[in-house]
Amino acid sequence: MTFPVEDRQGFSVVMLSGEIDLNNSPDARKVILNSLKKMKHVMVDLSNVDYIDSSGVASLVEGFQYARSNELEFGLIGVSEAAMSVLRLARLDQVFRIYGSLDERLANGG
Amino acid sequence: MEETVAEYSVRPTDLPAPPKDAIRIVQACSRPGVDSRELARLVANDPVLTAELLRISNSAYFGLVSQVKSVSRAVTVLGNRALRNLVLCISMRDALRSDAIPGFNIDVYWEDALRRAVSARMLAELARLDPEECFTAGLLQDFGLLVLLYLNPDQVSHWERLAASTPDERRDIEIDLFHATHDEVGLTLATSWDLPPDLAMAMGYHHDAPPEDTEQAMRQLCTVATCADWMASVYRSADKRTAIQQVRSLLAEHFDASAEHSDYLLQQVAESVAEAATAMGMRVGEQVTFDQVLREANLRLAEENLSYQELTWRLEQALGERDRYAAELHRELELAREVQQSLLPNAAQQLPGITGMNLSAKAVSGDFFDYFRIGENRLAFCLADVSGKGMNAALLMAKTASLFRCLGKGVHDPGKLLAMINREISETSVRGMFVTMLAGVVDQASGQVTLANAGHLPALHMGCAALVGEYPAKAPPLGISPDSLFPNDSFELLGGCLYLYTDGLLEARVGDGPRLEHDGLVRVLREQAAVPLQDRPRAITEAVIDPDGVLEDDLTLVIIEGRKLNGLQ
Repeated sequence: MTFPVEDRQGFSVVMLSGEIDLNNSPDARKVILNSLKKMKHVMVDLSNVDYIDSSGVASLVEGFQYARSNELEFGLIGVSEAAMSVLRLARLDQVFRIYGSLDERLANGG
Repeated sequence: MEETVAEYSVRPTDLPAPPKDAIRIVQACSRPGVDSRELARLVANDPVLTAELLRISNSAYFGLVSQVKSVSRAVTVLGNRALRNLVLCISMRDALRSDAIPGFNIDVYWEDALRRAVSARMLAELARLDPEECFTAGLLQDFGLLVLLYLNPDQVSHWERLAASTPDERRDIEIDLFHATHDEVGLTLATSWDLPPDLAMAMGYHHDAPPEDTEQAMRQLCTVATCADWMASVYRSADKRTAIQQVRSLLAEHFDASAEHSDYLLQQVAESVAEAATAMGMRVGEQVTFDQVLREANLRLAEENLSYQELTWRLEQALGERDRYAAELHRELELAREVQQSLLPNAAQQLPGITGMNLSAKAVSGDFFDYFRIGENRLAFCLADVSGKGMNAALLMAKTASLFRCLGKGVHDPGKLLAMINREISETSVRGMFVTMLAGVVDQASGQVTLANAGHLPALHMGCAALVGEYPAKAPPLGISPDSLFPNDSFELLGGCLYLYTDGLLEARVGDGPRLEHDGLVRVLREQAAVPLQDRPRAITEAVIDPDGVLEDDLTLVIIEGRKLNGLQ
């Protein structure tokens, strides 16, 4: 499967959904990195993610690292409770920029 | 532009001009009560036809009892039906002149047609039909192909393909080349030229079954035409074996003929063609015998078998190669596994008050643990889990384990140690891989523990009967951000034990039950608390792992015993 990307107000929003595990994390990784190669501002929407394993988290980490070394913006929006508990457990909530929604990010002005 | 088949179908107006005089004779022959003198007069009007008729009537092949020297005698001796057939054969033979299709040797077509004709004539007896009528049907049944070539002379170069085909293949090639088939065009021509209905049926329905209401004799003639088509193809097509088998099966089905009889008839085809050609005034080349055909078919079969054997041989080679590669890979993995295991504390390095265990889901693991003495009473310990599985995780694990062992001997502050390892692996991070890690130092005399948790599952402090404390991550995993800080937790491990584990244990199931998760794990740890320390990791894993099941994830466990309190432990 591949994950859809929406262009909204100068942002690429990668829409991940379902279970992000070893089977589809390579797809997630590809979509995230491709978006970062095209756009300066990328948000990953995790509102429909039911489960994310360490390989899925690694895709997000890679996006984060790529953005940091290329001075791009990378953040997570609408993180579902299932995804949030994983991020929180590993203290990755300290690493990623996390917003309730794209509007919240726009209101904060980065 | 895509054009439909319908646009390509042959229209009656496209067809060559019919031999009108001959058709008039043919029609007269079929008229009830027609006068033989009238027929003779009609024939005599066409001197070429007359000469041919007399010649063919006197030929050995058609073997009339007495020699006929005049048209009127021929008409009487032959009878209306035979006259009709001969006139049809002659007139159709001449309907397209030898130069009508540029670049095409029309004799080659007629030679093939003659094989069908002699085949059909032989089948007449089995089908209880008139031999000359069958001969005529056989000779003319594929006339549509000649018409297709006449209408599409640019496709003449494909004749070799058509010639080498079996009847089934021939129609597919025709659709490809002409967008029409010879039987379809034959039927159009027969209707347009007003040819007798029996001949029209044979031309139109020697591939597909005739319409339901077709009378029995005509139906039988169509069957003869179908069989004759395949019999001729034995001498023509590239796939002779298929053709021979099809003839045997058709003749068995329709005429109850044995394979031997079928082969006998096929043999007769070659012997009769030259004779029939002489009779019909057609030129044919030297005929191959059925024995030669059989030899060729067998040779081809042998060649195919040979290539099959070669294929089998190659497959065996490939499988052998695959097995060799697999064995080599297996050896490599075994070596990698050995190196990995060497990074973990072994039995010889056993220390009192601490133990650990690692079970890999795959040959190599992304988990590891380590501990070593850093002072008289102090031990450094760690447990880590590399994101992902397989060789890349194993290599990052090896790097992290080496860093821990190397740096940990000098740096006794777990938070600082993790920060150093983090900087090292962040610099070379690939594909977002990271390491969750717990590192600590325990003073076995005082029970004092200092612990830092980088993104890992909480360490659990179990007292005698209950969970006393949890130490969740206060910092993200290693390898993500080089500047992360790793705060320490300090506490006293009085009585009970400290358990460090990877998610393989948390996700384990007891029987078919749900995953253990946090509460389940606490329960299992409590149940196994009385087992001696060195045996406890095995007791815990055995309690949660199906011995015959497949391990889904690496599972690692470290247990650190606290300072024993008098009377409490």
